[in-house]
Amino acid sequence: MLDILIDFFIIGAKTGLILGPLILAVAYTTYAERKIIGYMQMRLGPNRVGPKGWLQPIADVIKLLMKEVVVPSGANKGLFLLAPVLFIAPSFAAWAVIPFDVEMVLADTDVGLLYILAMTSIAVYGVIIAGWASNSKYALIGSLRSASQIISYEIAMGFALVGVLMASGTMNLGQIVMGQEGGFWHWYWIPLLPLLVIYWISGVAETNRAPFDLPEGESEIVAGFHVEYAGISFALFFLAEYANMILISVLTALFFFGGWLNPFQGIPFMEGITEWVPGIAWLLLKAGFFLFLMIWLRATFPRYRYDQIMRLGWKVFIPVTVVWLMVLAFMIKAGVGPWFAGRGVF
Amino acid sequence: MSKLKHLFSSFTLKDLLHGLRVTGKHLWRRKVTIQFPEEQTPQSPRFRGLHALRRYPNGEERCIGCKLCEAVCPAAAITIDAGPRQSDGTRRTTRYEIDMFKCIYCGFCEESCPVDSIVETRVMDYHFEKRGDNILTKAQLLAIGDKYEEQIAEDRKQDAKYR
Amino acid sequence: MTVESIVFYVFATLTVVGALGVISMKNAVQAVLCLVLTFFSAAALWMLLEAEFLAVTLVLVYVGAVMVLFLFVVMMLDVDYASLRAGFSKYLPLGVITALALFGAIYWVIRSQVLGEIPEPAKNSADYSNVTVLGRLLYTDYFYAFEIAGVILLVAIIAAISLTFRGRRERRGQSVPLQHQTMREERLKIVSMESGRRQDAHLKPKKTSSKKEAPKDGVAKKSSSKKEPSKNKQDEAEKSEGKGS
Repeated sequence: MLDILIDFFIIGAKTGLILGPLILAVAYTTYAERKIIGYMQMRLGPNRVGPKGWLQPIADVIKLLMKEVVVPSGANKGLFLLAPVLFIAPSFAAWAVIPFDVEMVLADTDVGLLYILAMTSIAVYGVIIAGWASNSKYALIGSLRSASQIISYEIAMGFALVGVLMASGTMNLGQIVMGQEGGFWHWYWIPLLPLLVIYWISGVAETNRAPFDLPEGESEIVAGFHVEYAGISFALFFLAEYANMILISVLTALFFFGGWLNPFQGIPFMEGITEWVPGIAWLLLKAGFFLFLMIWLRATFPRYRYDQIMRLGWKVFIPVTVVWLMVLAFMIKAGVGPWFAGRGVF
Repeated sequence: MSKLKHLFSSFTLKDLLHGLRVTGKHLWRRKVTIQFPEEQTPQSPRFRGLHALRRYPNGEERCIGCKLCEAVCPAAAITIDAGPRQSDGTRRTTRYEIDMFKCIYCGFCEESCPVDSIVETRVMDYHFEKRGDNILTKAQLLAIGDKYEEQIAEDRKQDAKYR
Repeated sequence: MTVESIVFYVFATLTVVGALGVISMKNAVQAVLCLVLTFFSAAALWMLLEAEFLAVTLVLVYVGAVMVLFLFVVMMLDVDYASLRAGFSKYLPLGVITALALFGAIYWVIRSQVLGEIPEPAKNSADYSNVTVLGRLLYTDYFYAFEIAGVILLVAIIAAISLTFRGRRERRGQSVPLQHQTMREERLKIVSMESGRRQDAHLKPKKTSSKKEAPKDGVAKKSSSKKEPSKNKQDEAEKSEGKGS
């Protein structure tokens, strides 16, 4: 019995080791977002709380925790309070299969990629239930938009990941990264470039981020599915959205940019002097770039219209991915480049 | 042919990259934020902020209770009761109140005043802490006038030739 | 009692509770959510059998896609639940008998000699991969069955589309490809306009108000020669703007 408890304790400690930094990262992603968007609009962004505003996210968190949770009249109370939990649980659960370095992974499973897809797809329940249980028109419209958007883009995203699957021949995230070993020209971003772009844009759409943030669309439906939420229940939605952003960034780095692999691998001089850098630093660096890109996108592009989003997802992304999967199949069978060498049949 | 060119440029996301370049450039531009309490934008001598009632140099209040400001006020923010003062029988206000929530800071009261009594000062960062504090009484207005008299007089002097 | 059996009983209970919830919930949305719970805990049970591919696929397909569409439809429906429950007591005996019969049938099959005693699932070695085994089986032994299933699904998709497709309708919507292909030159015409006299010209010192801002009497003379073309240009600009919008 004791060793069972110890097992549980170790698993719990590992989970805490992932989620603790994740929540901190979420807090400082909001700070980075406000700061970067501020700079891009020639403002300074938050700079009052603490030196250079570094304590701003902490202040925000405290403010949100102190606020009252209001349950609207006519709302389905149980579901209303359940929805944020349903939204945040999968976005945290997905981190279980993310490898941070060789052997540095909570659950080294052979269906990691499918598991990620499953987790991102059940997050939609939180959104739908939040919109339905709020007993509010705006929330319902927002949740319907969000749900249809997530479902549509999941298909394109899934197809893009099929490309990764074909290229690596495994669904284990660690092995996908190991398949890209041998310098940055071995990474999958070159043969899978169109899929990378589509995966990335679908990822932005899945997380309901600008320019695909019409589930929130504050100019027309106030704040979308979470209009009625306040205080900590809103904080959970907020947390989940940013955790998803970070997740998508990390996944992009893992699938297409060699995860924790040193980008200078195979370059004579540079490899030597960057050997001491731990793999997790490279992964975080790559993910950080994509996080920055996400914020950059938000600062740049206006929001899409609903029909434009649907058209982009169904009429552009899905056909392009299908075509590229065929091209990829030929590339693999022809043993093209350093990526598929040794797998050719011609 | 142009369609083909267009298809190509839209698949290379040319326009989007162009947009990203613009915001990317602005990331490095000089920031124009003014850090308010420490830094301030220059103010005109005609700035219309918090109201004040002025006095003559000998300490006599200027206001003669003509009620022109009350009449001209488009927001009906000013309330005046007037009558002869008991000590010397001159016409003075017994009540002079401005509701700062109604005031729209148009400056008509100042323009209508025949004795330059009601003026708007440069003060614009003030607040109220209790319900009812928004109604400035005569005493408060006079106190504001006493406090900022130097600035007020200087501003009137600068603006005098355009009146 | 091992950890596995604890986990099994937890999720088995959840499955049964969820299934009971589906048929007993008053609200249809809650019933659908109970169904989701049932699927989810069933997936967890499969996970215990080391069938992780099937488990995750169950979550991905049923929980992630099918049930979302269910939820959509149920949320949009305006069902009068009271009228649906009207004949509850009348049909109760029939329902109970059917349920008992079904339960008996299932019990008989499980406990009969057909299946025999069900052994505890064997533990697989550490490098056993459910995905690989399943993939190998699907693409060798069951290749034809697998492909035929694929074709049947394709036929189903085409059938569903052709059933709902009722010919091209005249719609007044915008065509996004057309919008994308328009060039700036087609919509926009840049016209260089003669700037008018400045409103504050009389306030400016004479040096700055040079030829552009001529004094009042000069305007009348010049207007005869210059104003007319500029007026035409302005009209054109308005026209082209009208086209664009």
